[in-house]
Amino acid sequence: MGLEEKVPEGILTTSLDSVINWGRANSTWPLLFGLACCAMEMIATGTARHDIARYGSELFRASPRQADLMIVSGRVSNKMAPVIKRIYDQMLAPKWVIAMGICASAGGPFNNYAIIQGVDKIIPVDVYVPGCPPRPESLLYAMDLLRAKQRSESVGAWRSVEEPLAVDEIAPLSV
Amino acid sequence: MPLDVAPVVRAYETQRTLNPPGIPALAPMPEGETDDTRRICEQFGEDIVAAGLHYGNQVVYVDPGRLKALATVLRDDPELSYETLIDVSSVDRSHLPLDGGARFQSVYQFRSYSRNQHLTVIADCETEAGGGDSAQIDSLTGVYQGAEWPEREVYDLMGIHFTGHPDLRRILMPKNWPNHPLQKQAPLGGEEVPFTFTWDDPEFDTLGSQILPAESTVPDLPPGMSRQNMVINMGPHHPSTHGVLRLVVEMDGERIVSIDPDLGFLHSGFEKTGENKRYKDFVYYTDRMDYLSSMSNNLGYCLTIEHMLGLEIPERAQVIRVIMAELQRIASHLFWLATHVLDVSGTGMSLLMYATRERERILDLFEMVCGARLTVSFIRIGGVWQDLPDAFVAELKDFLRVMPQKISEYEAMVTEAPLWQERLIGIGHISAEDALGMGLTGPMLRGSGVDWDLRRDRPYSGYEAYEFEVPTSDSGDCYARFKIRLEEMRQSVRILEQAVDNLPSGLYRSNNRKVALPPRAELDVSMEALIHHFKLMTEGFHVAPGFFYHGIENSKGELGFFVYSDGSAKPYRLHVHGPSFNNLYAIDHISRGEMLSDVVTNIGSIDIVLGEVDR
Repeated sequence: MGLEEKVPEGILTTSLDSVINWGRANSTWPLLFGLACCAMEMIATGTARHDIARYGSELFRASPRQADLMIVSGRVSNKMAPVIKRIYDQMLAPKWVIAMGICASAGGPFNNYAIIQGVDKIIPVDVYVPGCPPRPESLLYAMDLLRAKQRSESVGAWRSVEEPLAVDEIAPLSV
Repeated sequence: MPLDVAPVVRAYETQRTLNPPGIPALAPMPEGETDDTRRICEQFGEDIVAAGLHYGNQVVYVDPGRLKALATVLRDDPELSYETLIDVSSVDRSHLPLDGGARFQSVYQFRSYSRNQHLTVIADCETEAGGGDSAQIDSLTGVYQGAEWPEREVYDLMGIHFTGHPDLRRILMPKNWPNHPLQKQAPLGGEEVPFTFTWDDPEFDTLGSQILPAESTVPDLPPGMSRQNMVINMGPHHPSTHGVLRLVVEMDGERIVSIDPDLGFLHSGFEKTGENKRYKDFVYYTDRMDYLSSMSNNLGYCLTIEHMLGLEIPERAQVIRVIMAELQRIASHLFWLATHVLDVSGTGMSLLMYATRERERILDLFEMVCGARLTVSFIRIGGVWQDLPDAFVAELKDFLRVMPQKISEYEAMVTEAPLWQERLIGIGHISAEDALGMGLTGPMLRGSGVDWDLRRDRPYSGYEAYEFEVPTSDSGDCYARFKIRLEEMRQSVRILEQAVDNLPSGLYRSNNRKVALPPRAELDVSMEALIHHFKLMTEGFHVAPGFFYHGIENSKGELGFFVYSDGSAKPYRLHVHGPSFNNLYAIDHISRGEMLSDVVTNIGSIDIVLGEVDR
């Protein structure tokens, strides 16, 4: 029946989408990037008891170029917003964002002059995690939801995503 | 162009019209006298507007022209010898009945470690002609070096110009921010909460997708830095800055010439928010300042308000508070140790895993008593939220049985390691004189040989009943601070053992129903309890007009709260003195002449939490 009969034993056929998504969903590398209280729970998720390595995500990368997932772990201030936007632009597609905690999702208890009411005003968010801060289990559940989303995506969809700006188009941040 | 996410401006929220007559009111003048205020009055005569005791604190109102002279005398007079300026804050009194008085006042907290005295000095600021929104006063940076950052903060948030300040720039807000947020006419900001939002709303389709462009502004070269040297940007996104701290490092070859820290990337407007919340509601915000020591933050805030209310705390509640504060100190130090080793060695993941293993046990204990791991809000005004569960004491005893050998284990892993010693001994040195002048507190101060611990020297919550030692060291480097923090964990275990053995029975919260909520079970049977509950939940309680500063020994240093009350149910002004903020000021001084890699060691050794630095 079909192609499987013709190929020798030990060879598996699949669609390109599912094999690439299988890889992406099982080794999503988060960005090593903490903002506030939620970052402490993010670190706790990475340590022995909660062990995010079960998801293939234990490798927190400090460089946005090597990371697939940005976990916005805390409140986003007006001063920090351009920096976050810039870091997100520096990440290579495909990339995903988890808004961890109520501050990153909607401003939380800080409805005031200093805090942006939700990080989705500057970057697109895939999964919102409620909690102040969310428990490590909540973050792991968010990873589960993200994996489901990653598995359902098509490889071609990311090609139409706008390319990030070239380095010389961005105003210099450092002095 | 700055990022255009400007919040919808809301009017200053207050229910002023609901207040009884006579509110708002100014703080009353201090009464009585002490040895120190008498001596100050003798030397300054007419220039002292008022002096005496207010809520048990020594307070001196001084003529602004003589402020600097007073500070010099406070420091140099051997009979006074106030070595340290702990804190600078300010009050905008424009919503109070001034009767011609000055609108802005700046408030200084002085501390004498050698004589164990605390003094609050208040000076009116000269408002510009025409009654504008800015004022000026002499800077104290020439007398106390540590005034530099607190004065910059006051300028940034309150708009008071300090004449003679060497570097008066904004420190927390972006440099192009339009106003000074803590001034009373500045709005709280924020956005309307869309309670009426429904699925049918046309805006629902685009909810959460309003992606705005974020364009960076080019920061200036910090003053005093030269383009001839290499200027390196470190942060705000950097694995070793413990959060969103940005350091602009000027280097000559391999050596550091100077460092200019750029703060405010996590500025959350705690103080402005506090002015718009009832007293009891701000407890939940204190959790989120120094999120590694939530319990201590709760305690510091509650003690301040309780002192203003004159509230008696039941014995059992006091002991529970001590247990929580000491557990939190161990948890905070464990996390400091884990990240410090990780930063310095780069591969020290094993200690991170070990130390967080014990920290998780402490978080489990917190979860037992209040259901939360990190942001606990367990210590409330009047006592604690609820009594300890039955299994808590046994679990705590088990933890105390294990903990000392774990501390020894960690010590064995790093203390004698040659690489660890190479990276820490002699690095980040600060002398006792500099530490006092900069207003450093906590292990930063004790590591330089100043024998001071608020728990022992100005006891609160019944700390005088416990036996413990305060570790100090004269060497003043990162290694000394490392050993002090390890020893502090041991002493905390000692305090905990005493506390758990002498846990009294009785109330866990004050029986004063005007301030503390009645227990839940009482609501079912008592009409009065329902009334008290309703009044507390809707209106809150009022605090008599006045102001008070109180500091506690947090894991990182002195955590102080300055509260100015106008008699209503909300604080008129709430200022937080975060130990991380003052301690971080030393980073420039202790890193000069060292290597770039030593900056990472120094940041870890200062032990900062950015939530508290930026507030």
